[in-house]
Amino acid sequence: MASSAFVLWRALAHGHLLPGTVPFVRCARAVPVLALCVVACRAASPRRDAVSADDFGEPVARGSAATPSRIVSLMPATTELLFAIGAGPRVVGRTPWDLWSDSARRVADVGVGLRPNIEAVLARRPDLVLLYATGENRAAAQALRAAGVAVIALRIDRVEDFRRAARLIGMATGDSARAAAVVDSVDRTLARVRSRTAGLPRPTVFWHVWDAPIITIARGSFLDELLTIAGGRNIYEDLSQPSPQVSLEDIVRRDPDVILAGPDGAARIRASATWRSVRAVREGHVLVVDTSLIGHPSVRMGEAATVLAHLLHPAVVQ
Amino acid sequence: MICFERVVARYPRASRAAVDDISFAVPPAQITAVVGPNGSGKSTLVRALLGMLPLVSGTIRVEGLDSATRDRRAFARRVAVVTQRESLVFPMPVREYVALGRYPHEGSWHAAGVEDARAVDDAVTLAGILPFALRSTEELSGGEWQRVRIARALAQAAPALVLDEPTTFLDIAHEMAMFELFTRLARGGTAVLLVSHQLNLVARFADRIVLLHQGRVAAAGTPNEVMRAAVLEPVYDWPLVVTRDPAVGAPALLPLRGSSH
Amino acid sequence: MKRPIFWVLAVAMLAVLMILGVSWGTVPLTPRAVLAALAGHGDRNAIEIVRALRLPRVALAALVGAGLGVSGAALQGSLRNALAEPYLLGVSGGAAVGAVIGVALGFSSAIALPLFAFAGAAAAIATAILIARAAGGRADPRVLLMAGVIIGAFANAAIMVVLSGAPANTMRSALWWMMGSAAAADWPQVAWLAGYTVLAGGALLWFSRDIDILALGEESATALGVDAERAGRRVFLVSSLLAAATVAAAGLVGFVGLVVPHLVRAAGIRRHRALLPGAALAGASLVVLADLVARVAHPPAELPLGAVTALVGVPFFLVQLRRLS
Repeated sequence: MASSAFVLWRALAHGHLLPGTVPFVRCARAVPVLALCVVACRAASPRRDAVSADDFGEPVARGSAATPSRIVSLMPATTELLFAIGAGPRVVGRTPWDLWSDSARRVADVGVGLRPNIEAVLARRPDLVLLYATGENRAAAQALRAAGVAVIALRIDRVEDFRRAARLIGMATGDSARAAAVVDSVDRTLARVRSRTAGLPRPTVFWHVWDAPIITIARGSFLDELLTIAGGRNIYEDLSQPSPQVSLEDIVRRDPDVILAGPDGAARIRASATWRSVRAVREGHVLVVDTSLIGHPSVRMGEAATVLAHLLHPAVVQ
Repeated sequence: MICFERVVARYPRASRAAVDDISFAVPPAQITAVVGPNGSGKSTLVRALLGMLPLVSGTIRVEGLDSATRDRRAFARRVAVVTQRESLVFPMPVREYVALGRYPHEGSWHAAGVEDARAVDDAVTLAGILPFALRSTEELSGGEWQRVRIARALAQAAPALVLDEPTTFLDIAHEMAMFELFTRLARGGTAVLLVSHQLNLVARFADRIVLLHQGRVAAAGTPNEVMRAAVLEPVYDWPLVVTRDPAVGAPALLPLRGSSH
Repeated sequence: MKRPIFWVLAVAMLAVLMILGVSWGTVPLTPRAVLAALAGHGDRNAIEIVRALRLPRVALAALVGAGLGVSGAALQGSLRNALAEPYLLGVSGGAAVGAVIGVALGFSSAIALPLFAFAGAAAAIATAILIARAAGGRADPRVLLMAGVIIGAFANAAIMVVLSGAPANTMRSALWWMMGSAAAADWPQVAWLAGYTVLAGGALLWFSRDIDILALGEESATALGVDAERAGRRVFLVSSLLAAATVAAAGLVGFVGLVVPHLVRAAGIRRHRALLPGAALAGASLVVLADLVARVAHPPAELPLGAVTALVGVPFFLVQLRRLS
């Protein structure tokens, strides 16, 4: 039994079991990089009915010929995006985690985004499905395409991925202008926060994701970017993965000024005897972040950055 | 002295009693042999003696102590039992194995005293296993292992000794040596109860024979009284002839061919 | 190997490994820094790392290893099975179910979780004994083994059912716990486990002569004056409860209870009065070493303790295979 548990843990550590929340890195980054190059090249030379590629390397056609009218979104990030660019009325399927507004709640729940229930998705008769781009969903992507449904697979780890995803989705749904506007708005908010915190001293931060085992945020995640924008400094900025596992000893050595955690995590840290070895805990610098706000890189990133900046620099940022 | 009084014992979920109203005694300084066909209850009697099979009725007493007693160590100090088979999962030197026989005599702290060492020495000598006393149990042949087991029982230094088919794996020489050992022990005062298939050897060495048949005593008495074709044939259900071998001076059994039945 | 040499080596090895366990870790510290930290001087963080994190952890690892070693040795002798190990009577399955239920209900703190795990293990042991009784197995070790397997299978199924519908954090905590770790060690836990180990280990040591006799088989043991059923049951119970305590403290740390008794026997120790303490020392050394490896193999991450000890199983079974053929 220990062996099967270990296999499951490995899968967990590589993010294959955490849909819609904090995404982890996959081994092969070649495909999306390639796709990015393709998109960049295409954007440089606009052509009629130009084709871009999604994170599985599949082509994404412009929505000029047939604008999708029934869209199923299997990621909270893309659901939010769709609603933000005005495609909300066309969304006919969502994940169980899309509960952030009444209009989102009213949409039918078609199940989780990891190894989705194809039957449930097809029952909504979609012409476009937005899917989480991970190895385990390739079969689902194939099955949906075979059923004649357009599929866009996306992997949104960093802020740049969000911009690209917004562009691709806007292109596919025929709302490119609105998509660009959303991206602009987010960018403006981020820039504003960045300038507010520009000259301030940067507290070193440990970002607590979980403590059994101890998992934190590092350079590969958009949260690290937001942290930097908000005027903080991640003690694990030297690690390249999005969410590596670390040990308590190492955290004590790196001596963060502040610990950021969700409400659950903060409670566990405060109740634990071993976490008292960390200076930030002893001095009471454990700050609670609303996890729903920072779950995925999406339209509310600007808001998230603002909240973080306020937490880290309460006197300066409102 | 071992006394079986009206012993009735049954295996769980069995319809018939394996041992049905058996009474006999094993007096000291004598070899009492229990013989009988397979399934007649010989080994069941040993299990009942050990307390592994609860008695339906009757009692078994050794030196006055009831076999159902809670003081198992006291019982083990009165009777040593060598079961049919035993194999060790973890090997050890022979002497150490023989020393396990001192368990019933060990105090709470289980420390080995001078008496214990002497008893072990005596047992080793008596059983004739001195040549390989320092070898490991896993290196022994079948016959050597059998003698080592008997040595362990001897180390218990109990006034009664029960042996269940002790010569199964032994060749003629070792078998004879065993029976001569039993005789020596009996001469020394031990009450020896011997369960065996070897009718001829039993006829030569036993002082009394108890013949079991389907859980009951079919005959009991001296070898001359019990070793008769008229007595044995109905029990074993096989044609036999009992002769008297002048060289040995004891009745000898000769099974005939089945076709002449 | 001569007896005195074994004991000197065993104690020395444990001492060295414990010292290494405190000196090494994810964070490199010079020996001078370690000594200063132990004495309470120098960098505050180094003091915290050495005294609050590493010391209790090494102590807990040693106690877990000792408990598992003793439990394994006692079980192998009384069950007459060289491949018996402490998690047999459904201890690991029951503890895991208890822990998973605890995590799922939200009780995953360092105080509550061990209680749930222990309760689960105790329930499993009781059920195994009841099953064995109902099946009519008096002191037959095979019946007990079977009962343990049945419970283990049921526990696996139960865990899968609970975890399949659980949110991500529950699953992550549960799986991490199941793979064993000394990371959450603190002094209260060490004190509790120490008391428990001394009591249970002491009881097993008291029974050690009985175990010597039980190892001969039911009939021979009865012939020598041991109440095989009662004595056997006593040893199963105390051994399993001791194993359950180690599981409550550090999760599932497999193979220690299986391999350590063999290692000590290979050094020539046979009588359980010496085998049990020997297994305690060797087991403590093994788990302290495994915990050290878990910490330094892949910094800054920590490997699960059970994964490192599982690797020990590989060469062990290879050796057993060679012996068989």
